[in-house]
Amino acid sequence: MDVEVDGILVAAHELKEPFATLRQLALSFDEMNASNEAIREKMVSVSDRAIRQVNDLLRLRRLEEGGLEMEPVAVRPVCDEVMRELEYLFRYNQRELFVKYVGKERLVSANRELLRSVVYNFLLNAVHYTGNEMRAELVVSPVRDRVRIAVRDYGPALPMDVWRELKRGWVEKPTSIAMRPGSSGLGLFIASRFSQYMNANVGAVRHRDGTSFYVDLMKSQQARLF
Amino acid sequence: MIFVVDDDRMMAECVAKACGEKEVRIFGDALAAVAALADGLPEMIFMDVMLTGPDGFTMLNELASYSDTMRIPVVLVTSVEIGGLNLAEYGVVGVLSKDTMKPAEVRKYVKKYC
Repeated sequence: MDVEVDGILVAAHELKEPFATLRQLALSFDEMNASNEAIREKMVSVSDRAIRQVNDLLRLRRLEEGGLEMEPVAVRPVCDEVMRELEYLFRYNQRELFVKYVGKERLVSANRELLRSVVYNFLLNAVHYTGNEMRAELVVSPVRDRVRIAVRDYGPALPMDVWRELKRGWVEKPTSIAMRPGSSGLGLFIASRFSQYMNANVGAVRHRDGTSFYVDLMKSQQARLF
Repeated sequence: MIFVVDDDRMMAECVAKACGEKEVRIFGDALAAVAALADGLPEMIFMDVMLTGPDGFTMLNELASYSDTMRIPVVLVTSVEIGGLNLAEYGVVGVLSKDTMKPAEVRKYVKKYC
């Protein structure tokens, strides 16, 4: 199948999920004993996720135009901001998020919005793959001349077939892993494309009890001024 | 007791609430649901197909493998088109589309099988 058509199908499939959930939540107003506030909170969370997915898709187009500037970006505030945004989703799904910053604060050469999306999509994937009442870990650490942002989940290990597809399809195109509803396969594809644009290395490590996804970003030369 | 198996917790809760007064247990994956069968068999199961880890078809196969679980009515709740498959022999009594289903349709199955 044509790569572009394949991509559209993947995007459509993944965007359908939040819309289907929103529809069910809207229908729930008459069904649930829960307060309207609880349902409203869920609807806002799902809507935010859908809007972010659409924005990421729009940014994919902007990558081709080369209109996204690189700048020195502090990693920690970006990660903190994303964690605040996803806090509700982690809590709601009964997942814990453990965060560790190793070493002193570093600036990296990145585009802030793209970096934000990379972290967001890694964490969203962790929400999906981390088991109930288990934790995901976000670790920021220096690796030679780069800064690594890694997100590890402790859910079921990715099946080998999916893993092979992920390895084969990494960066080049959305893979069929993305056809698994809610898997954030599209998110991983987007994260890899954004990372590539920022000259960052992306990768994944398959553990017996989960998966780690990471991005290695170049330290900003400006960091030497501090 | 009704089992709802879906890795989208919000969707699972919507289905659970639509079951009305019935006691419902929600599971995020097939393994947890299968393990819970040892605590007691549910009257019926609402189950997503594309689950994290073993998928819904794997769980259907597991249910069909034992004389006590093979009789549990299963309703698939999915956004995947699975027309053309003969799933009745796996205990599937209905398929609800996540895109179009309404709480009343869930209740209809609950009323019929519980």
